[in-house]
Amino acid sequence: MKKILVIDDDETFQKAISTKLELLTYQVVLASDGEEGLSKAVTEKPDLILLDIKMPKLDGLAFLKKLRANEGGLKIPVIITSNLSSIDKISEGVSLGIKGYILKSNETLDTITKEIAAALNT
Amino acid sequence: MILTVASILLAVGGVSVSIYFVIKDHKAKVVLVKKEQDISRRMYELAILKELGDRIGYSLDVQQIIDIIINSLHQFIDYSAVSYMLLGPEKLIFKMHLERSVHQRFVNDIRDRMLGSLSALLDREFNKKDVKEIISGAIIIEELNDPVRSFFNIPLVIDEKVVGVLTVADTKSGLYKEEEMTILYKIIQQASKAVTSLQGVVKTEQAKVNAMVESMADGVVMTDVDYRIMVLNPSARAIIGLPRKESVTIFDFIDNLEGKFDIRGRLEESVKLNKPFKSEEVLIRDKFYKIFVFPVNTERTNEANEKEVVGGVVIFHDVTAEKSIEQIREQFTSMIVHELRTPLSGINKISELLRDGQQKIEKKDFDEYIRLINADSTGMLELVNDILDIAKLEAGKFEVKKEPTDVKKVVDNRLEFFRPSANDVKLNLEVVYDAELPSFVAIDQAGIKQVLNNLISNALKFTKANGSVQILVVHHKAGMKINEEFARLPAKTVVPFPEEKFINMPESIVVAVADTGSGINASEIKDLFNKFKQLDNKSETGVKGTGLGLAIVKGIVEAHNGSVGVVSEIGVGSLFFFVIPLQ
Repeated sequence: MKKILVIDDDETFQKAISTKLELLTYQVVLASDGEEGLSKAVTEKPDLILLDIKMPKLDGLAFLKKLRANEGGLKIPVIITSNLSSIDKISEGVSLGIKGYILKSNETLDTITKEIAAALNT
Repeated sequence: MILTVASILLAVGGVSVSIYFVIKDHKAKVVLVKKEQDISRRMYELAILKELGDRIGYSLDVQQIIDIIINSLHQFIDYSAVSYMLLGPEKLIFKMHLERSVHQRFVNDIRDRMLGSLSALLDREFNKKDVKEIISGAIIIEELNDPVRSFFNIPLVIDEKVVGVLTVADTKSGLYKEEEMTILYKIIQQASKAVTSLQGVVKTEQAKVNAMVESMADGVVMTDVDYRIMVLNPSARAIIGLPRKESVTIFDFIDNLEGKFDIRGRLEESVKLNKPFKSEEVLIRDKFYKIFVFPVNTERTNEANEKEVVGGVVIFHDVTAEKSIEQIREQFTSMIVHELRTPLSGINKISELLRDGQQKIEKKDFDEYIRLINADSTGMLELVNDILDIAKLEAGKFEVKKEPTDVKKVVDNRLEFFRPSANDVKLNLEVVYDAELPSFVAIDQAGIKQVLNNLISNALKFTKANGSVQILVVHHKAGMKINEEFARLPAKTVVPFPEEKFINMPESIVVAVADTGSGINASEIKDLFNKFKQLDNKSETGVKGTGLGLAIVKGIVEAHNGSVGVVSEIGVGSLFFFVIPLQ
C-alpha cells in the first residue's frame, strides 16, 4: 500500500483528498504546516508528498528546500497542490525538483488522484 | 650809427617779440596737445569701458576681456609688445601681441620677468614648463638685437584674487610715465570691478540653483560637452554610492552604474542630437529609477538660428515607492484570489465526494462534510462582505445613516453576541461604562456594530485561554487627559492611552477594546489599519481573518468624522480604540 503525506493547512482539502485517496486504497498521513510535514516526512517515509504552498510556520517552498537538504540522495516525489497561480512560485518549485504543480481549484479530486497515480508509476 | 643801433635794437626787439610769440604759441600748443591727448585718452577709456560693458554682458571669460583691452591699447600707448600671463586651469597662459618685430630674447625676457612678478604676487614658484605661449602680431626677427628698455606690469585682480599680470614693453628707453600707467591701471581696475560684480551676480544665481539642486531628492548631474561634471548633487552621489568622494567624474558614474545605464552614450546622443531621453525603470543598488537626460542649451542662437548645446543634464528619479505600492497591490489581489479560491475549491471537492460516493458515506463523514461546507461558506461570505465594504468605503459610497442611539444598548447587544464564543475559548469578556454617558449619540448603528464586531472578534482571536477582553466606554471632555478620565472607571487598562492623540480632541465618546493577548510588534503597528497589510502571525485559536477588518473599522469610524488608534505591548496586550466626536 502506497503512503501519501498531505501537507496542507486547509482542513476541507485535507478531508476531501484523504477520503478520496483512502477510497483508492492509499494510506494517508496528514500534516497542517511545513514543520509538522518535515517531521512526518522523516518518520513516516511516504512514497509521495502533496504539498500546499501558503501555510503557517514553514511554507511549502521553504519546506521543500529543507526536505531536499535533509534527505540526501533519496528524493521523495513531491506534487505541489496550491491555490496560488503565481508563475514565480511554480518556477521556484520546479527548480527544487517537483513532479507536478496542481492548481487545486482547477482540478477535481478525480484528476488530482490520477496525477498522483501517474507520478507513483514513473 | 644811432640808427643802426636803433634798427638793431628794433630788430632785436622784433626778434624778441617774435620769439615771445613763438614761445607763447608753443606753450599754447603744448596745452592744446595735452588737452587733445587727455580727450583722446578719456575717449579711449570710455570706448574700451563701453566695449567691455557690452561684451561682459555675455562673457565672463577673463582672457577674452583682456584681449579686448590689449587689442586697442596701441591707440594711446606706444609699445613693441603687450602681453598677459593668466592662471589657466592646467598651465599659465602667456599671450604676447607684437606691434613691432623683436628678437626672440626680447620675448623670453618679458616672459621671465612676468613669471617673476606672478611668482612674487602669488608667493608661488612657477616654471617655464608651466607656460603655454601664444605670440601674435609682428614677426620675430633674429637680426634685431634691441633689449627691453621700457617696461611696466599691472597685476590683474578679480574678486580680490590675483589672476594674472599685464605687461607693456618697448625697445626704446624712458617711455612710460606715471600718467600712462595710471590710466591703464584704471582701465584694468574698471574691467576687474565689472567682472567681479558680474561674477557676484552669477555666484548668487549659481548659489540659488545649487541650493535648489542640493536639496532635490532626485539625483542631478550636469556635464559640459566633454562630459566633465559641472553640477552634482548629494542625491546623485548617494545613488552611485560615492557620498564623500571629492571629485567625481563621468567614469565614476560609468563604473558604479555597472552597465545598467549607459550614461555616457545617452549624454552623447542627447548633446549631439539636441534631444531629451527618458529611460524605463532601472534598478540601481536596490532602488528603481527613471532616468531622464536633457541637452543644456544657451540662450543665444548661432548663425543657423539654433540654440547652442553646452552640455547635458541627467536626472535620476526614484520610483521605488510607486513600484512598491504597485507590488503591494498585486500581492493584495493575489491574496484575495487565493483566499476566495481556497474555500470555494474545498466546497467543490466535498460536493464531488458527495456526488460520487452516495452509498458509501458514513454518518460521521457526512456530518464532517456539512461542518466543513458551513465553515468554508461562512468564511467566504465574510470575505466577500469585507471586500464589498472596502470597495464602498474607497469609492466614498459608504452611507452613514446617523440616528440618535443609546451606545450602551449597542455595546451590550454585541457583548451578548460574542459571549458564547468567549466562553468557548475560556475568555473573560466584560464591559465597563463611564458613570455619565450622554443618553443618545448620533451614530450609524449597523456601522458601529460592524466596528465592534471586528474589534471584539480580533481581541478574542488573539488572546489565550483564561485571558480577558474588556470593552471600555468613556465620555471624553475637551481639554481633559484621557488616561485620567479612564482612571475613574472601575477597571484598569493594561496599556495606557497615547495621550498625544487626545490633545485638541473635542468632546467625544471613546470606545476601547483591551485584551491581554500576545501584543503587536511596534514595526507592524503602523500598517495595521492599511487594507493591503495582513499580519502573518496566526491567531491563538488558529482562526484566520481576512486582514480587511481593521481597514473597514477605520473607514466606518472616519465616515463618522472620528478616528481610530492602537497601543500595544508584546506579552502584555493591546488596546484598540475609536473616537466618535459628539457635535
